Order: sequence, then structure tokens, then C-alpha cells
Amino acid sequence: MTSSPVKAQAAGTDGRAALKQFTRALGVAIVLLVIWRVTTVGLAEGYPVSFWISQALNGLVLGGVYALVALGYTLVYGILFMINFAHGEVMMIGGITGFFALQFAQARGWMEGPWPVVVVALLLIMFVGMAASVVIGVTLERLAYRPLRQAPRLVPLISAIGASLFLQYSVLLIFGVSPHSYRKPALISGGLRLGDVFIPYTGAIIFVTSILLMLALFFIIQRTKLGRAMRAVAEDRSTASLMGVDVNAVIVVTFMLGSALAGAAGVMLGFHNTVVKFNSGFIPGLKAFTAAVLGGIGNIPGAMFGALILGLIEAIGPSALGIPTEYKDVIAFTLLVLILIFRPTGLFGEVLSEKKA
Amino acid sequence: MLTLESVHTYYGHIHALKGISLTVNEGEIVTLIGSNGAGKTTTLNTISGVLSARAGAIYLQEGDHSRRSPSAGGEHDLRLDRLPAHEVARLGVSQSPEGRKIFARLSVRENLAMGAFARTDRDGISGDLDRVLELFPRLQERLSQPGGTLSGGEQQMLAIGRALMSSPRILLLDEPSMGLAPILVQQIFQIIREINAQGTTILLVEQNAQAALQVANRGYVLETGNIVLSGAARDLLADPQVAEAYLGI
Repeated sequence: MTSSPVKAQAAGTDGRAALKQFTRALGVAIVLLVIWRVTTVGLAEGYPVSFWISQALNGLVLGGVYALVALGYTLVYGILFMINFAHGEVMMIGGITGFFALQFAQARGWMEGPWPVVVVALLLIMFVGMAASVVIGVTLERLAYRPLRQAPRLVPLISAIGASLFLQYSVLLIFGVSPHSYRKPALISGGLRLGDVFIPYTGAIIFVTSILLMLALFFIIQRTKLGRAMRAVAEDRSTASLMGVDVNAVIVVTFMLGSALAGAAGVMLGFHNTVVKFNSGFIPGLKAFTAAVLGGIGNIPGAMFGALILGLIEAIGPSALGIPTEYKDVIAFTLLVLILIFRPTGLFGEVLSEKKA
Repeated sequence: MLTLESVHTYYGHIHALKGISLTVNEGEIVTLIGSNGAGKTTTLNTISGVLSARAGAIYLQEGDHSRRSPSAGGEHDLRLDRLPAHEVARLGVSQSPEGRKIFARLSVRENLAMGAFARTDRDGISGDLDRVLELFPRLQERLSQPGGTLSGGEQQMLAIGRALMSSPRILLLDEPSMGLAPILVQQIFQIIREINAQGTTILLVEQNAQAALQVANRGYVLETGNIVLSGAARDLLADPQVAEAYLGI
């Protein structure tokens, strides 16, 4: 009598073990396939070293942008244990708003002015994009997430996906399907040539700006009273409130910081890709999420390094594997699958395992 | 100084506090004793605003320095039971929670700084830091270590020290002796006495009734959400009912 449920349970664990073995085998197969392609095809093409360096530099630029967005995912996850799937749209709205700010500046001829004017105008454009993203991010928190704070964990996730679609199609409705194109000012449209390696100014500016913003965030989190409160809330909300910390205020500030970085990324991605439209936050958003998972979600340095690694892999991957660059998204998301199979806590993470998972 | 008037608290449908009334006077150590599940921690959490009372009232006498929150009503007493936890904390009610609740990934120094979160008086904060380190010299050596790496006893010291860093008018201590070696228990109770002698009012929740009643001025005995007995600590120690149920005699 009693043996049958036990047997059923055994069969269940057997099934699960088999599935786990299967996914592991699949993962190993993918890794072997990648190694085979790289050695037999990618390296056999015989690209010059300068080509690889150029690709790697492109990767770092892209990685810098991903890092800014990935930090938003990781900050919010660290505090609320939810994935803000609308974060890519927060970035896109920064990009769209930045486009209009750029248009405004161009109409006034600031972009053709002397270089200090151009620099100030560019900073203002980025600031406007960041401000727009902050408004959207904070509104999202207030309307879509806070009312669900006590709900089961899947519920805010669904709300986030809904918010993502809502934002995309609102932008589509207001600004149309056609892409808005960012026109670079002459000042930053050239590049630097070092031997055979060409470094576009925009790329260099994007990379440096990303690093500066990340350092600023790191400083805020590690060295200020606000950052200490954020870390305390991330560890234990109710104990933090016993210390006099207004937890809701800290959560709002977290969304503001994450959104500001996303807004900056949106504007910079606008200059990098030269276009923005209603869905241009979607794929980069997922990539940044991948980067955050790669580094170990909830882990701030993890998000930064995960994003840089992802950027590099995406830039070098297609040539190394000998496949068209259009497939770079496949590479990124295959990587996501591999991490989830082999190291679900990410490269730098054990944060997950402690209490949140 | 702190008054509870027939406070009722619920966890969902579970009626955890069934009309608790108690008073803590300025300068006293008052202890709340009782067995597991009697509602001791619930009482402290209701005072500090982590839980909200469904009925009844909690009053805190207004302090001399006006740290008054605008949303608290009353003429001379501030009503705590309508305030969120962070505002209660800012009024000078500080809790060292059950299970210590150290921020494991923050350093010891940062944990102590969190205790002083609501304060802006730099000199006062550094003075209190010195005082806490004097009370707990062990913490001095571990200032830059993550809180999670401390031993249980050290974590308890850190929890009390952190609560003291807010320069509280009243200190709520929840099971400070739990899980500690007997020698450490003695030390902790000695320190509680010292803190009180320095002028901090204390409400102490304990399962170790013997030790608690020895340091306290007065005590309340809690049973399934009701106060069944109260009086001078000395009398409670001598009470045969208490002796049988809580002192293990």
C-alpha cells in the first residue's frame, strides 16, 4: 500500500535526474560545437590581429552600454527580488526623448557650434534622456510594482511584461513605426586610427562615459549613507526600517538610479546605432538581462563584468564561429541558456543562494 | 514614558495580542516574560511599527528635544500605533530584534552606522560610537569585518550596539540571551544593567525569566496574547505561579 507513492516519487526524481543529465549533455554538446567551429572555421579564415582588436573594441563599447542597463536589472533585483522586464523600455524612452532633445539642439545650430557648445549640448541631451527614463522608472515602480509588493513573486513579473508591452505600443502610437535617426554632430563623427585599428570617437566616448557612470554608481553604493541604506534594505527590509530607514523611499531611489543609467544608455545607443524606435529597447534589454545573469544577478560588479564579457563575445563570436553577424543574438541567448544550465548563480554570484532563491 | 492601552494585533486571522496594556516609566528596566508563542516578540514589533495594531493605542511621552514627527498626534503624548516603523524609530524607540538581524554583508562599522541612520549630529554619533565600543570592546577589533563573520555572541553585542547608536529614549531588547553560552549571558545582562544606569529606559523581552527578573524593576507575564500577571520584579521572582511556570523550580 505505502510503496506506491514512494515508487512514484522515485520515478519523479529519476525523471528529473534524467532531464538534468540531458540538459547537461546538451550544454556540453553546444560547448564542443563552439570549440570545433572556432578551431576549424573561425581561426582558419586567417583574419589579421588588427581585425580582432577592432572587434574587441566594438565589443567593449557595446558591453559598456549593456552594463549600464544590466545595473538597473541587478539593482532592482537586489532590493525587490524581481526582474523589471520593462527596463529595456525605460532605456528606449531615454533614447526617444534624447532624439527630440538632439533635434531641438540641431534646430538651434548648437551641434555646429564651437566644441564647448557641442559638448555641453551633448551632455544636456543625455541629461534629458536620463530624466525622462527616471520619470518612467519611478512611475512604473509606483503603479505597476508597489501595489504588488506582497503578491507572489510571479505576479510582479507578469506586471513587468505587461508594462513593457504597454510602453512599447504607447511609443508606437505616439511616435509611429518609423525609426528616428540620430545625426551625429561633425565633432564626434570621425575617429582615431592606430595602425590598422580604427576607433570611432562615438565608441570611445560611449565607453568612457559608461565607465564614469559606473564608477559614480559604485561610489554612491559603497561610500554614501544612501548607498549603505540601499544595501541594508537589500539584505533585510524590516530591520532596515527599525533603523529609521524609509524603505519605500530607498526603493524609489533605487529605481531612479537604475533608470538614470538606462536613460544614458538609451541616448548613447541612439548615437551608436544611429536610430531609435518603439521596440529598440527590447533586444538590448534582454541582452542586458543576460549580462546581469551572466555576472550573477543582484551582484553589482557582476553586472558590469558580465556585460563587458557579453559585449566581447557578441562582437568576436560571429567571426570566430564563421557565422553571419546577424546571428549575434543567437550567441548571446545561447550563452544565457548555458549559464542557466551550468552556473545559474552567474560567474560572480553566490548572492542568490543565500536566502532569496 | 511608553504606554500600551489594550493593544490587539493579528497575523491574518490569528489573534496574537488580545488586549495588552502595559507601562514603562522613564529610567526603568521592564521585562516581558512568557513562553514561546505567548506574544512577546509580537508586542515589541507592534510597538516599533513593524506590525500594526488593529485596536488599542500606543503612546510615547514627548521627549525634551523636539524630535517630533508631524504625523503623530496628541498633546503631550505621541501616538505610535499609526506610524510606520521608520518614523517610530526616529522618535527614539530603538529595537534590537530577535535573532539579532545583523546586516551580514555590511561591515561592523557600517552596521553601527546604520543604527545612527536617522541622526545628523556628527559629534553625537562619534561620541556614541566610542561609548558602544567601550561597552563592547570585542567590536573594536572587528570594525571592518563583515557582520556575518561574527560569532553569535558578538552578533548580539553588535545588535545591541547598533540599537544604542540611535541614542534611543527607550531600548527594546528581544531575547538578547538567546543561544549564548552561560558566561556570555551573564555578561550581556551586566551590560543591560550598565546601559540602564547610563540613563536609557529598557523594555526587555526574555525567555530566561530568572535572569530577566533579576535585572528588571518590574515585569509582566504574557500567556497566549494576554498579560496574566504583573508587578515588581522581586515579587514576581517570589511568586509560586511564576516559579513553577517560568523559573523551572
